[in-house]
Amino acid sequence: MSDGFEAADFIVGFIAEAEEHLASANANLLSAEEAVAKGQPTPRQVRDLFRSLHTVKGLAAMVGVEPIVDIAHAMEAVLRDADRAAGRLPPGSVEPLLAGIRAIEQGVRALAKKKPVIAAPQTLLNGLADLRQVAGDQGVSSAATSLPAELWGKLSAAEREQLVQGLEAGQRALVVQFLPTPERAAAGVNITSVRERMASVSEIVKVVPQSVPATADAPAGLAFALVVLSAASDTVIAEAAATKPEELMPVRLEIPASPEEADSGLGDELIDDELGRSGFVRVEVKRLDDALEKLSALVVTQFRLGRVVVALRESGADVRALAQVVGENGRQLRDLRAAIMRARMVSVAELLERVPLIVRGLSRVTGKAARLEVATGHAELDKAVAERIFPAIVHLVRNAVDHALETPEERRAAGKPEVGLVSVACFERSNNQLELTVSDDGRGVDAAAVAARAGAPVPATPEALLDLLARPGLSTKTEVTKTSGRGVGMDVVRRIAVDELRGELSLATTPGQGTTFTLHIPLSITIVDAFSFVCGGETFVVPVSTVEEIREIDLTKTVRGPDRRKSSRAEPDRRRAPRASDMIERRGQAVPVLALDDLLGLPAPDTSLRKAIIVRRNGEPFAFAVDRMLGQQEVVVRPLEDALVRVTGVSGTTDLGDGRPTLVLDLAALGDSLFVASRGVPS
Amino acid sequence: MNDLHVLCRVAESNYVVSAADVLQMESFAGATKVPGAASEVAGLVQIRGRVVPVVDLRVIFGLPAIEPTMDSRVVVASIGERTVGLLVDSAREVLKIPAAEFQPPPSVVAQQTEGMVKAVAQVGTRLLMLVDLAKVIGGEQRDGE
Repeated sequence: MSDGFEAADFIVGFIAEAEEHLASANANLLSAEEAVAKGQPTPRQVRDLFRSLHTVKGLAAMVGVEPIVDIAHAMEAVLRDADRAAGRLPPGSVEPLLAGIRAIEQGVRALAKKKPVIAAPQTLLNGLADLRQVAGDQGVSSAATSLPAELWGKLSAAEREQLVQGLEAGQRALVVQFLPTPERAAAGVNITSVRERMASVSEIVKVVPQSVPATADAPAGLAFALVVLSAASDTVIAEAAATKPEELMPVRLEIPASPEEADSGLGDELIDDELGRSGFVRVEVKRLDDALEKLSALVVTQFRLGRVVVALRESGADVRALAQVVGENGRQLRDLRAAIMRARMVSVAELLERVPLIVRGLSRVTGKAARLEVATGHAELDKAVAERIFPAIVHLVRNAVDHALETPEERRAAGKPEVGLVSVACFERSNNQLELTVSDDGRGVDAAAVAARAGAPVPATPEALLDLLARPGLSTKTEVTKTSGRGVGMDVVRRIAVDELRGELSLATTPGQGTTFTLHIPLSITIVDAFSFVCGGETFVVPVSTVEEIREIDLTKTVRGPDRRKSSRAEPDRRRAPRASDMIERRGQAVPVLALDDLLGLPAPDTSLRKAIIVRRNGEPFAFAVDRMLGQQEVVVRPLEDALVRVTGVSGTTDLGDGRPTLVLDLAALGDSLFVASRGVPS
Repeated sequence: MNDLHVLCRVAESNYVVSAADVLQMESFAGATKVPGAASEVAGLVQIRGRVVPVVDLRVIFGLPAIEPTMDSRVVVASIGERTVGLLVDSAREVLKIPAAEFQPPPSVVAQQTEGMVKAVAQVGTRLLMLVDLAKVIGGEQRDGE
C-alpha cells in the first residue's frame, strides 16, 4: 500500500471491489424481481443496489473510467427515484438494470485485460433514462449552498441536509482538497489517515474522489475533496489534510433548502457505510497464508519445546516453572492461531452471492421456472475451503435445476406449484464442521434409471445410489444438455467434498418429492486436532474429527471369520490382501477389525493387546488395530502433492517436532479402498 | 546451459546431474516410509521446512537398496514444478563439463535404460552418465485426469 503509488495499483483494487459490488447488485436485483413484477416495493434491495452502484461509480471516477461512471450514474438515478417512491422500482426496470450491470461488468473485464473500455451504449443509457420518466422524475432542486455544482451533485439528500443544517446552526463548512502523492504515501499520509485525522477535528459530510489533470502536485491525477463541517481553525484543518490554510475553500449558505429535499434516508446509510468501511482492510490471501505458514513453524517449535521439557524432567531436573511458561506459551499460540484463522474466514452468504444469477440463467436456458432460497445465517468458512467447495455447490445447484426440477407443465400435472424450489442452506454443526445442504422439490432420483445407465443392479440404499451417481462420467440424461451434460458429474462433487476436503457427502431422495444433498465440510483445513499413535514401530497421526471412538481390544479375543487369503479357493490377488474378516462387538453391532500394521505392510508388535481406532465410512464403522496411542495435539497438515507419494489413505504430513515428516492417515479412505476392492469394483 | 554438474555415485557407477537442476545436497539418515508408494520411493524427508519425496536411485537402476551410510546423500532436484530428492551412495564433487564433451549414449544403452541416461562423457579416466531427471522420477500423473 505504501511505496508504489500508481494508477495501476488502483485499478487492481478497483476491479476486485467493483466485482464484489456488482455481484451484490445482481443478487439484490434478482431478489427484487418478483416483487417488482407485482408492483410491490423492495426498499431494502433498492437501497443496497443504490449503495453498490454509488460505490462503483465513485471507484470508477477515481480510476477515470468514464463509461462505467455514466452507466452507474444513470442506474443510480433510477434507484434514487425508486427510493423516493418508497422503494418501488418501475415495472419493467429489472431487465434494463441487469443490462446496466452486465455492461459495467464488461467494462471491468476489459479493464482487467488492460483493454480499452468502450463507451456506454446509448440505447442502454436511453433505456435507463426512460425508466426515470416512468418513475416520474421530480428532479433535483438547485443548489442551496455555494458548494461547486460538481460536488453538490455528489451529495445525497441527507448529506445536503447535513451540510445546510450545519451551516444554519452557525458551523463553518469547508472544502478541503487532499492530493495523494508517493512521498505522502511513504510517510503514511493517505486518504484513510487523512479521513481519520479530519474526523477528529471536524464532521465529515462527504469525501468525493475527483480525477484531476496529472501534475507535479497530483502525480496520480487523483484528488479527494473532503466536505466538512468544523469549528476548528483553518490551520488545524489544513494540517489534518496535509495542505495549506489558504487552500481551504469555505462554503456559504445561499438559498434556504427546501425541506422535502431531505426525504431520502439513503444519505444516512451511505454515511454509515462510508464510515463503517474505514474499519476494513482488503488483504491478499497470500499474506494470510504467509502469516499462517509462519505460525505453523511456531507451532512446531512449541512441540519441540515440549519435548525438551519432558526430556529435562526425565533427567531429574525441576522443570515446574519452565513447564508453566511453556504451557502458557502454548495457550497463547492457540489464541493467535484462532485469530489468524478468523481473519481467513469468509461468509458463506458472500460465497453464494452468484448462485441466484446461475439459477436465473439456468431457468432461462431450460425453460423451467425455478426459485432459489438461500439460508446461510452467519456461517463462515476458511477462504481455502470456500474456494474449493464453491464449484461443488454450483454443480449441485445446476443439477437441481437441470435434472431434478420438472417443466412447469409436468409440475402442474403432478399437482405441484409451477415454480420449482431449489434451496441452499447451511449451519455450523460443531466448531469445526459446516453442514451444507442443496435441496430441490423436483422429481427425485430415479434409482432404476441410474442403475440401468450404469449397468448395475438397482441400489438398495441412498449410499449405494450415491456411489452409482458418483461414478465418473455417469449422466442420467441421454442427451448432453447445454448446462450440465459436460462430462463433469457427481464424481467431481464427491472428489471435492470427500477426497480433497475430507468431508462427507450424502443423499436423500423421494420419488416425486425431491432430493437433498448434504455436505459436511471442515471449516478450515490447514491445522487440525489430531491423535498421534504408534503402529508397526512408526508414528502416525489421524484427525480427531474422523475418529468415532478409541478403545482397547485384545486381538486374541476378536471373532475370527474365514480367512480367504489362506483358503484353497483364494485367487492369487486375494492372498496379498490384508486380513479383513475379524470382528469385534460394539454396542450390539459387529465391527470389522483391520490390523493397521498388516494393512500398511509394517511389522506386528509381539502383544495382542492393542488400541482400536474406530472410524466410519459410508455409515459403516471400521476398527483399525494400532500398537498404542501417544496423545492428542494440534498439527499443521501439509498436503502431499507429488505423484510419487500420493497414495490412498495418506492425506498429508505433519511435523511433530522431531524434524521429520509424520504421515497423516485417512483411515476412512483406507477402509474404503478395502471395501471397494472386496466388491471387485475398480476404484 | 550451465556447464556445472554434480557427480553422484550409485554402486560402482558415476552419474552426473546438471547443477542447474540441483537445489541442494543433504546427508541422509532415513526417511518416513510411505506405505503403498512405489518400491523406489525411499520415503519423505523434511529439508528446510519443506517435505520432499526421495527416490532411491539404486532401486530405480535395478540394484538392491542399502542401509544409509555416512556418505549417503539426497540430491534435491527441481524438475518443472516438482521437487524430488535422489538418494545416491555419495555426492561429493561438482565438475565443469562443457556441453560439447557429452555424446549420445550407445543406442543399445539408451534403449536398455529407457532413456534415463541422456548422454555420456569421458572425463579423465571416468565415464560419466548424464541422468535424465524427468525420466528417472517418472511423469506426474494426477489422479482422475
